[in-house]
Amino acid sequence: MAELPKIEHEIRDPIHDFIQMSTDERAIVNSDPVQRLRWIRQLALTELVYPGCSHKRFEHSLGTMHLASMVFDVVTRPLNLTDEVRQSLPEITDQGKLSYWRNVLRMAALSHDLGHLPFSHAAESQLLPEGWNHERLSRELITSDDMTRLWESMTPPLKSEHIVKLAVGKAKAPDLEYSVWEEVLSEIVVGDAFGVDRIDYLLRDSHHAGVAYGRFDHHRLVNTLRILPGAPRDEQDERRERPPALGVEQGGLHAAEALLLARYFMFSQVYFHPVRRVYDLHLIRFLEDWLPGGKFSVELGEHLAMSDNEVLSSMARAARDAEAPGHDAARRIFRREHYKLLYDRTRDEAARNPEVVSVVAEEVEREFGQGTVISDEPGDTRKPPDFPVLTTGGDVVSSETVSDVLKHMPVISLGYAFIRPDLYERGREWLAQRRMELTQPPVEDEGSEGGEG
Amino acid sequence: MKRNQKLVILSQLARELRQRGSWDGEMHLQKAIYLLQEVTDVPLEYPFILHYYGPFSFELREELNRMRADGLLELVAQPYPYGPSFQPTDAAKELESRFPKTLTRFRRAIDFVADVIGSRSASVLERLGTAVYLLKLSPSEDLRELAVRFNELKPHVSVEAAQDALQGMRKTLADAGSIK
Repeated sequence: MAELPKIEHEIRDPIHDFIQMSTDERAIVNSDPVQRLRWIRQLALTELVYPGCSHKRFEHSLGTMHLASMVFDVVTRPLNLTDEVRQSLPEITDQGKLSYWRNVLRMAALSHDLGHLPFSHAAESQLLPEGWNHERLSRELITSDDMTRLWESMTPPLKSEHIVKLAVGKAKAPDLEYSVWEEVLSEIVVGDAFGVDRIDYLLRDSHHAGVAYGRFDHHRLVNTLRILPGAPRDEQDERRERPPALGVEQGGLHAAEALLLARYFMFSQVYFHPVRRVYDLHLIRFLEDWLPGGKFSVELGEHLAMSDNEVLSSMARAARDAEAPGHDAARRIFRREHYKLLYDRTRDEAARNPEVVSVVAEEVEREFGQGTVISDEPGDTRKPPDFPVLTTGGDVVSSETVSDVLKHMPVISLGYAFIRPDLYERGREWLAQRRMELTQPPVEDEGSEGGEG
Repeated sequence: MKRNQKLVILSQLARELRQRGSWDGEMHLQKAIYLLQEVTDVPLEYPFILHYYGPFSFELREELNRMRADGLLELVAQPYPYGPSFQPTDAAKELESRFPKTLTRFRRAIDFVADVIGSRSASVLERLGTAVYLLKLSPSEDLRELAVRFNELKPHVSVEAAQDALQGMRKTLADAGSIK
């Protein structure tokens, strides 16, 4: 096990009981970018549906840091390493490097959400200038002069470029070159299968929402995580040096299945709850009207000065003032006059016409007028749940070959059309008459010749 | 191009690959769609990066998963210990039948790529995809120099093997010119 930094501080946490940190780490926690996360809700306006969901990115970031080193200590334990992994990752047998990278990993986990806009994920593609997202803002903050000074003052000094890679992950930083080691460590933080970001938010969000869906045996899972050689990709895959990846021992497979099921349930029951989604859409509308030019600033000082607090106080004023920018959306949020769910696409309808939600929304607008409908197609399509599994026989195989649960794990793809609340009853009657017709298979545009259609 | 048009192209390509003996795993589809987009200029507009196994698009991964969710693709388990294949469903076939003009327009491109991919393994496709990626990045660079860069990016592929892949794919790019 890598040499541990001296533990000098503890913070109580509802999920992990105590989160420990060194004095160096506390200086980072106390920095402006991390403290700002105290005022960013983890789940935007979800508290309007699940009142307990008012937790913030701050405690999630601490929890992610805590879990990151738990996983690191398990997967780098000498007894848990195979010869193949030792050869592929020389860092893993070098105590000095291990100790350095453990610190980098914890700081990357702590910093992974620094770039979040107020209310977290809500529509950053619409609300940031082109080419920007919260990962890019996180990168800018982690490598800023102020933060770089703090990283360099730690013992040992940390390199901000290492922290960035682990905090953002290769998928969101295609311009950065990752070593295999860095890729494995970034998987620990933001990986699709077992990233500690995911482990923490599922546990934390379900706790605060008051739903049991997000719970799973994370202790068992963490203790059975391993760095494993990748599984073969087809019969002819004879490449000897497959990249190592984060996987699990067969004994932890049920815990891994439970995590992925928890994710499925949380997305379908909480994150994609239609009323939560429509509040998000009203919030986006308010921000587009209220922000200068409809966009958040990406200047770091202005980013740090903008949290949920600034948005909420302006929104409250706008809700009372009919002349204020964003009044209509603000009023709908504050008075609970949100648009109502008119159409909820079925899987059969999606298979007949994947663009059926647009068809319905266009027809609603044609019937009831412009601005009477909002459509939304949320989906959790980021990954197939595939990771290496170390069997009791010592083979490494794809998870989908040994887990019927994962093989049949549903992918979430939803489609909603919401209607202005005063039109809801009329809309329902209208849709009941037209639904069959509107959900028929598409017809290719006569003039398209296969072009833009 | 509208989403439904993209989906019928992906579905038909998966079907054609399967008919030519492809494993049709995600890796195979990723490389086939990359070639369709970059070699035969079918405007699918998925952004690709050079990943560990060659060109890869996270957006395409999302699309394939959304097709699964919408009942257009299904995963078919393969014999232990290999990963699953994607298979278009009857619903996908029905959707294809609704877009005859789109499929007619890109038919030759789909056949061309399906022939190039055929039953080639993931390892070979990684090499071919990377070769195209580098050729598109530096079209006029000397093949030997490109092969050296290839080898630096993927040390498990020798310079000679890289040069063979680059040479082959340069010819494929030239052949594809006639069907654009």
